[in-house]
Amino acid sequence: MNKTAFYLIPLFIFIGLLTFLYQGLFSNPREHESTLLEHSVPEFVLPDLMDTQKKHTQDVFIGKITLLNVWGVWCTTCAIELPYLKQLQQEGKHIVGLYYDQDIDPDFGIKTVQRVQQEVNQTYSQLGNPYAFNIFDVKRNLSLDLGVTGAPETYLIDKQGKIRLHHIGDLNPRVWANKFAAIYAQLEAE
Amino acid sequence: MLKLLLVALGFLISVSSSMAMEDKFKFDDPKQAALFLELTKVLRCPKCQNQNIADSDAMIAIDLKRKVHELVSKGRTKQEVVDYMKQRYGDFVFYEPPVNSMTIWLWLLPLIFIVATLTWIIRSRKKVVQQIDHSQLEKAQQILERDE
Repeated sequence: MNKTAFYLIPLFIFIGLLTFLYQGLFSNPREHESTLLEHSVPEFVLPDLMDTQKKHTQDVFIGKITLLNVWGVWCTTCAIELPYLKQLQQEGKHIVGLYYDQDIDPDFGIKTVQRVQQEVNQTYSQLGNPYAFNIFDVKRNLSLDLGVTGAPETYLIDKQGKIRLHHIGDLNPRVWANKFAAIYAQLEAE
Repeated sequence: MLKLLLVALGFLISVSSSMAMEDKFKFDDPKQAALFLELTKVLRCPKCQNQNIADSDAMIAIDLKRKVHELVSKGRTKQEVVDYMKQRYGDFVFYEPPVNSMTIWLWLLPLIFIVATLTWIIRSRKKVVQQIDHSQLEKAQQILERDE
């Protein structure tokens, strides 16, 4: 074997290792592929946040491209993304909220629904209401089935009720341009 | 003495924390209680990464603990609970990654490295032996004879 080539091997291994580790510096450890991609929204029967007599099921997602936004008034980042969601809604996007409350502990249930509705209305009056309606995930069972890790998170659901994108973190113009715009346009064409 | 005290204190803390968990999540069957403790140690919190759901106080970890409690109470096995979580939160949620085309390299690379290095060492040793051939020995003999 050629001597120089032989002694260059460690250098190449080193460069390979360096590239691998350097990439790791910029990767987001919170980002991992959702297991539900290309799957239908899990089955559920949950009340509407503002009218708890009314029930929603997974069928509400059929027929329309939907942005399902997981949020709560206690979530600071959600308050920051709300005005941008309002803008998206004004552009004609169909946004559905998946609301869950931190203080309603399924084991105890401290807060009344009226109190939650009051808080939500207060937030709307300050920041606007981008939602067509809100699904009230009382015991956070749907969140668990959807693989929600915390608010805010947004799902892009196609006309057949299939999940096509799962974004962890807030929605803003940059995220929309990089992550959502292309898929959204594709779904509109379908 | 101080060491003994610290050990005693550590023991007390560990006992009280596991007791706190048992307080909140009750089981009729001690086997299920043990399975619950085992599962909460090997399931990873999706929000506060690098913590298991037993240690984490994030809401999602509490929800997952409640779900594990529910499933274990229903008599599900360890594998069934792990599969349930993986289905929702991916392989990521379990502290034991599966062997697949990506992760196999974690085991293969060190093995390849060891085998390659060993072959290299053995081969270079053989070369040293081969280099001393008869003509060289004869030459050495001649030099020795000349000196005499």
